[in-house]
Amino acid sequence: MFALLRDLRTLRRTVDLPAPGRGRSLAIRHVDAGSCNGCEHELTLTSSPYCDLARFGIGVVASPRHADVLLVTGAVTARMREPLLTAYAAMPEPRRVVALGDCALGCDMLGTPYDLVGPVDSLLPVDLRIPGCPPTPDEIAAALVEFLDAKPSRVSGGQPAA
Amino acid sequence: MTVETLRLADRLGQCQETSADAYRQHLAEAAAAGWRFAGTHVSADRDQVRTLMVAPGGETRFHSAPINAGTAPSIVDLIPAATWDEREASELQGVCFSGHEPLRPMINHGPLAEWTVPVHGGDVHQVAVGPIHAGIIESGHFRFHLVGDRILHLDARLFYKHRGLERAAEGADLTAASAYIARACAACSVSNGLAYAHAWEQALGLVPSPELARTRTILLELERTWNLLNDLAAVCAGAGMAAGNHHFAALTERARRLNAALTGHRFLTGSVRVGGSDLIADLAAVRAAREEIETLRGAAARGWRAITFNSTFDDRMVSTGVITAEQARRMGTVGPAARAVGIAADARTTDARLAYEGFQPVVVERAAGDVKARVEQRALELWQSLDLLDRLLDRPLVSAEAEPGEGSGGLGGEIGVGIVESPRGATSCVVERASATDNLARVGRVRLRTASFANWPAVVAAATGDVLVDFPLINKSFELCYACVDR
Ligand code: SF4
Repeated sequence: MFALLRDLRTLRRTVDLPAPGRGRSLAIRHVDAGSCNGCEHELTLTSSPYCDLARFGIGVVASPRHADVLLVTGAVTARMREPLLTAYAAMPEPRRVVALGDCALGCDMLGTPYDLVGPVDSLLPVDLRIPGCPPTPDEIAAALVEFLDAKPSRVSGGQPAA
Repeated sequence: MTVETLRLADRLGQCQETSADAYRQHLAEAAAAGWRFAGTHVSADRDQVRTLMVAPGGETRFHSAPINAGTAPSIVDLIPAATWDEREASELQGVCFSGHEPLRPMINHGPLAEWTVPVHGGDVHQVAVGPIHAGIIESGHFRFHLVGDRILHLDARLFYKHRGLERAAEGADLTAASAYIARACAACSVSNGLAYAHAWEQALGLVPSPELARTRTILLELERTWNLLNDLAAVCAGAGMAAGNHHFAALTERARRLNAALTGHRFLTGSVRVGGSDLIADLAAVRAAREEIETLRGAAARGWRAITFNSTFDDRMVSTGVITAEQARRMGTVGPAARAVGIAADARTTDARLAYEGFQPVVVERAAGDVKARVEQRALELWQSLDLLDRLLDRPLVSAEAEPGEGSGGLGGEIGVGIVESPRGATSCVVERASATDNLARVGRVRLRTASFANWPAVVAAATGDVLVDFPLINKSFELCYACVDR
């Protein structure tokens, strides 16, 4: 185990992102609304040692009730429509929606009209679009960090700003 | 590979049974003679059910039975592995299977009582998980029936991600339809794409040139390599071992970068096409790839040593999530999960369309069918894949075409089959042409039966009797795709 830890210490982040230290955070709830699993695999690697998104205060939380952001992958299938809307309804305000990947954005969605509902923005207001099939971990990380920086906090003193 | 072996392995047998009894009897005989079930599907004309069987030597044969008044004979009493196939066909093609009782829905999610197995008893309670999971995980629902912490029974309800890809591909020409197959699942895009390409090439009477076979074998092993590294990362995550998880996640990232360097895509998507390959890599690129393979091998071996000598990790894995060889045979379990119970079957052994001359499957010494055996099996297969890549990446990759061969498909070129050993086991693809005389080669029916589809029942069996908190670890030790199943 010590050998592993020593090894890990030598790994350097390779993604060129602005230095952390912004005193903010972003709690993400991911929902797979009908992906091919590619977007998930790349999203997972945003926490690999090369990217280490956690250093920016960005992390995945287990429940939509703890989340600032609903991050959706895949074109929404008929069978995921309800679960997706339920997750969104469970989120506290202010809440944001991120559509990750070309399918979620509605480009070249594959399937039958009967089985697919449509892109994410046909159901929810989308605040950030991250294109790619799939976008790489670096691209996902860069987009999320920029999003975190750009959004003025609407919460002050524990209360939503007027 | 000699032309003779290819011709032999390529021969697609067919038995056109006229009665339900003959169909059932022939299948029972084939199963008794050691033929493996590889899928049941409804024909393009919706007038027959066809069951694909594979001999230990790789030979393939269809058994077909007529569908009369919407009803076909069930074979689940003879071949339990066909259970999900029949359930799927009953919902997607509206065929009733007589003798399949109860025929529970699997795709359309009605009331709970319709799809769960009734469980009775004073202490039994249910825990519902999903379709949305707590981490970055694909969508699917698990309903656990528990006594205390112990899992009495698990119903896995998938198909939330069903996109109707196969139906949407019907009528498209072979190139347009390949997009539906490639995007069924990113983690298996080469395996699925190759099974599809092989099916078409068999139907069209094409055989790959040696260079084409080599390029495709490299792609398949690259896919296996990143998947195995990812599996090891996932199993560490399932046991809460952060250091192992990060180590193998970093290697997964490197493997995907290698994919991108060689093919332009981190998941190798778009590098498989029917009839040939356009992938080119000069000597410098191939050399660099080979060096990276060596680096991966060294780093993976270091990580492997560290996690195997960790007794807490070991404790979590030993005798957790056991399936027996008998269960695996009954359920038609494939791939590393089957090899981890000592079933030395691997589609690469008999794959005459790829460059696997002399391939011998590896089987872990302690083939106990638990999480530990599956994880150790993965490590063995990783070394094997890296060896294969080292051998195959010895010269530049050039564009190559399939050539007209003597083998032509069964049923007069109307149907073709491709079977490929994916990172999770044998995946089969059946293509039926819309019309044999059609110049465009359009899809009448395509069915992709992935290793994940074959193996989900094994996850359920492995979880039964274990405690609920071990389920993530058990699940990760199979690391199946949902996208591959739902399609
Ligand atoms: S955008 Fe691409 S990688 Fe992401 S879910 Fe769609 S097909 Fe898969």
